[in-house]
Amino acid sequence: MTSPTPPAAGFRLSHVLPDLCLFAAMPLLVYSVHRVFMSTPIEQSMGTAFKIFFFHVPMGWLCMLMALISGVAAAVQLRRRSSGAAAVALAAAEIGFVTGLGVLLTGPIWGHATWGKPWTGDARQVSTALLWLVIVAYLLLRHYGPRSSDRLAAALAIFGAVNVPIIYYAVKLWKTLHPSTGVVGSLPPEMWATFWPGLAGLLLVSLGLLGLRIRQLRLADELDAAWVQLEDPPR
Amino acid sequence: MNEIVPNTPPSAPDDEYAPVVGISKEDTATLRMLEGKAADKTARDYEHIVWAYGVLWALFAAYGLFLWRRSARLRADMNDLQRALDKR
Repeated sequence: MTSPTPPAAGFRLSHVLPDLCLFAAMPLLVYSVHRVFMSTPIEQSMGTAFKIFFFHVPMGWLCMLMALISGVAAAVQLRRRSSGAAAVALAAAEIGFVTGLGVLLTGPIWGHATWGKPWTGDARQVSTALLWLVIVAYLLLRHYGPRSSDRLAAALAIFGAVNVPIIYYAVKLWKTLHPSTGVVGSLPPEMWATFWPGLAGLLLVSLGLLGLRIRQLRLADELDAAWVQLEDPPR
Repeated sequence: MNEIVPNTPPSAPDDEYAPVVGISKEDTATLRMLEGKAADKTARDYEHIVWAYGVLWALFAAYGLFLWRRSARLRADMNDLQRALDKR
């Protein structure tokens, strides 16, 4: 009778990569905050409150990226019944939840400072809130639903991913208060030099946390399988 | 806003009185009121910025705490599994 083997240990690049991402993000974020407050000129029409832009926009982009990753992984999970893909989908959805909440909170704070109203029912605001609610529904199903709800949850994740292009093109499809999709590309050089370290730092933080969470979920699955094998060994 | 500069007084002959010309009291009061409004807006904007950045860091810190607690739970589970294996 064979004993169940504990999860495999040992050095692998995939084990170290998330930690490297988090480590690399720290100086970038420190530099970005320094640039935002010390080196970036004040924007003419929105004033000092414009400095929220340098973190609000990357959070929005990361939310959309994580929703796409979650949707693609969920599609793979449905197609191949892959537990690895399920772990990626869940981890990406959790990061999407965090970044989505970040953009939905910083946006109204900026809106209150600039427009005088935190929420205007703007198409981009509403579609982003819809995506975030879909992510919340997905997480609730995955964490608290029965095992049979995994496929329904995967369908929700795919639905969320479909929402991403709607959010991105909302400024072109409907009349909105948000600026056009080309605003980041048209930033003056001193503002672009502030934007990209913040984007890179937050991207590395998100990827690092994603890697850590995927590792946790895979380990939890392996532990569950080991317990099952221990308590009900194959004959 | 256009820069406000005092008018240069015309040069007067030595034995004549030349009036001093500068920014009027009304202009000074207007300037001070506008500067006060700009300072208030900047202070309010900085309050918004601090809230926005604080929210972001709090969210990432909360998720980091969530990961840390899950890791602790997994470690405890692994220790239990190891003990169960050792008993066999």
